[in-house]
Amino acid sequence: MRCKVPGKHSVFWKLACLLVAFCLLMIWLSWSWGRYMDKRTGYLTELAQSTLVRYAGEAERAWETGQQAGVDQWLQKMGRKEPGWIGVVGQDLQALSSYPLSETESQRMTFLRGLDWPISHVRTARPWIKVPFPKDTSAGYLIIELPQRFMPGHSQLIWRILTNGVIPGLFTLLLCVGLYRLLIVPLNHLREQASAWRADQLGTRLSSQTTSRQDELGDLGRAFDQMSERLQSTVNQQQQLLRDLSHELRTPLSRLRVACDSEQDLEALRERLGREVDGMQRLVEDTLQLAWLDAERGPLPVEDIQIQALWEMLTENAGFESGWPQSRLPCFVEADCWVRGHLNSLAQALENILRNAIRHSPAEGTVSLNGQREGEMWHLWLDDQGGGVAPEELERIFAPFTRLDGSRPGDGGFGLGLSIARNALRLQGGSLWAENVGPGLRVHIRLPASSGQS
Amino acid sequence: MIENYLQTLMNPVAVSPSRLLAIEDDPVLGAYLHEQLLRCGFEVVWCQNGQEGLARARQEPFDVVLMDILLPGMNGLQVLTQLRQTHALPVILMSALGAEADRISGFQLGADDYLPKPFSMAELRVRIQAILRRVALDRMPRQAPVADGAPGECELFVDEETADVRYGQQWAGLTRSEYRLLDTLQRNPDEVLSKAFLYQQVLQRGYAAHDRSLDMHISQIRRKLKTIGYHTREVRTVWGKGYVLSASDAL
Repeated sequence: MRCKVPGKHSVFWKLACLLVAFCLLMIWLSWSWGRYMDKRTGYLTELAQSTLVRYAGEAERAWETGQQAGVDQWLQKMGRKEPGWIGVVGQDLQALSSYPLSETESQRMTFLRGLDWPISHVRTARPWIKVPFPKDTSAGYLIIELPQRFMPGHSQLIWRILTNGVIPGLFTLLLCVGLYRLLIVPLNHLREQASAWRADQLGTRLSSQTTSRQDELGDLGRAFDQMSERLQSTVNQQQQLLRDLSHELRTPLSRLRVACDSEQDLEALRERLGREVDGMQRLVEDTLQLAWLDAERGPLPVEDIQIQALWEMLTENAGFESGWPQSRLPCFVEADCWVRGHLNSLAQALENILRNAIRHSPAEGTVSLNGQREGEMWHLWLDDQGGGVAPEELERIFAPFTRLDGSRPGDGGFGLGLSIARNALRLQGGSLWAENVGPGLRVHIRLPASSGQS
Repeated sequence: MIENYLQTLMNPVAVSPSRLLAIEDDPVLGAYLHEQLLRCGFEVVWCQNGQEGLARARQEPFDVVLMDILLPGMNGLQVLTQLRQTHALPVILMSALGAEADRISGFQLGADDYLPKPFSMAELRVRIQAILRRVALDRMPRQAPVADGAPGECELFVDEETADVRYGQQWAGLTRSEYRLLDTLQRNPDEVLSKAFLYQQVLQRGYAAHDRSLDMHISQIRRKLKTIGYHTREVRTVWGKGYVLSASDAL
């Protein structure tokens, strides 16, 4: 399976950048802070240093004033103050006091630490610090086991928790908030929208904040909005259709009521009944047809259709119905005009257009079919010699139950014919529109040309 | 059974009338249907629910079944499905639903015809007769082509092998369906054949008001016959009835 690289505006890049940056930040933070903390806490504090230097000064003074005995005295005094080992040694690392160094003590003299050396906090043993006499550094050293209170790394644990636990935790929390705002908030908007639909508020739309996003969530939001628009228009259409239909049914029903109430002879009543029932049946069939065409989404099965043959078939019917001779319904399309379409719905569409044209033609008028090939399409047009329609009505005549009165004579149907025709043509990949030419109306049809026939 | 069909065919006033089974739950429409069909000379059994209808259709011999789709207990499409597992007898579905999808699923399940309600009695009668006639023709041994005299200079030569017709030296170039249609028409010269029958016989399906395939074939046949210069007879439309091949009055 080939993986598709996400688009430039994809949320993938946002997420990837965010997470990579976050990981790098965390690693750098813990590394540099660790180092900083080690540095901060690995050395003796100012206080410790000054205390030790002060001790060294006292030891020097004791040495200068009382030599060995002075040092002994001072050491005794210090022994009470500092519990650790304390000694004063000369340049040769031999004790300046009267107590000689033991074997282990001499050994320890070889790894003494300076005041400014880093002190490991891994080892728990307290290091021995060598502090030279402050006045005459060559005279001797104070050696002292670092007092427990000066051991660095008291705050070590707290700093560890802070740098390795609390601060990364806080950053992660921030990241979560960011991700939530990035990903979940738009989803919540969608949920609110869906809840609004459930409460029958089809008019609600998502905020522009969601729909103007460039990424997938923006796409989702836009798709959601389009869906709600389509849903709303469908519901509106259905309601409109239902209103129109019940209105249309009322007319024949009230005529029947009148016929029922008024006294008429049986034969007339029967004839009238038959007429009204036919009318209502036609209305219901047309409405169902329209509803079906509107609901049908997939393309209809298509076949090659010769327009000339289709026209001959339709004009024979139309001629019978209207009493028009064939000569008034000429076809100027050549025999090589084959289109691809769904025969039944194309025939119905063309028949509706033809009937409409005949109904609105003046006496002795003609209705003609003409056409030309335009690339992969056939462009056909049907001219009548009626009065045309007002320019602002040219689009409205294709809406269901539209009947134009006044200018155009004729009894009219239910105003469903052109609507059915447009839907039928749309379903087979064609289109239908109208324009006024000179005295009449020209209805244009575009249909895919058949590929097989020449 | 076969004798029965032959009799029906040979002699329209048959000794034993065709037996129909009507399955219709609406009492008013059912009673009217029953009465009208009896008046047309059929023998009619009327059932008011699907279960009973299915049982009777399996047990008794019938020529045609008329059935509503919305029935109590078991709907018409289910009855049809079960019936088709064992019986091949013709079924006409009647429905007030009228939806295109319903019609299509009816045909897919093996219905022979579909009549949307409301319909006129005349319409129903035409449909029943079309089916009876087709069944009778199917069961009859195929006749030799009607000997209309030797194919003379002014006659159409029908070639069964290539499924085409020739006039003089020119072939009409008919398609399969067009040939079958013209053949059916010329076997019954000067007789008006109903659209319902032609749909049954030529296109092997029921006829619907919006179905224009047959008209289109007729239109093409006319064009092709005109192209090869055959004017002796022509296919004419008899309004409200059907088509007939008869001598043209242009001559």
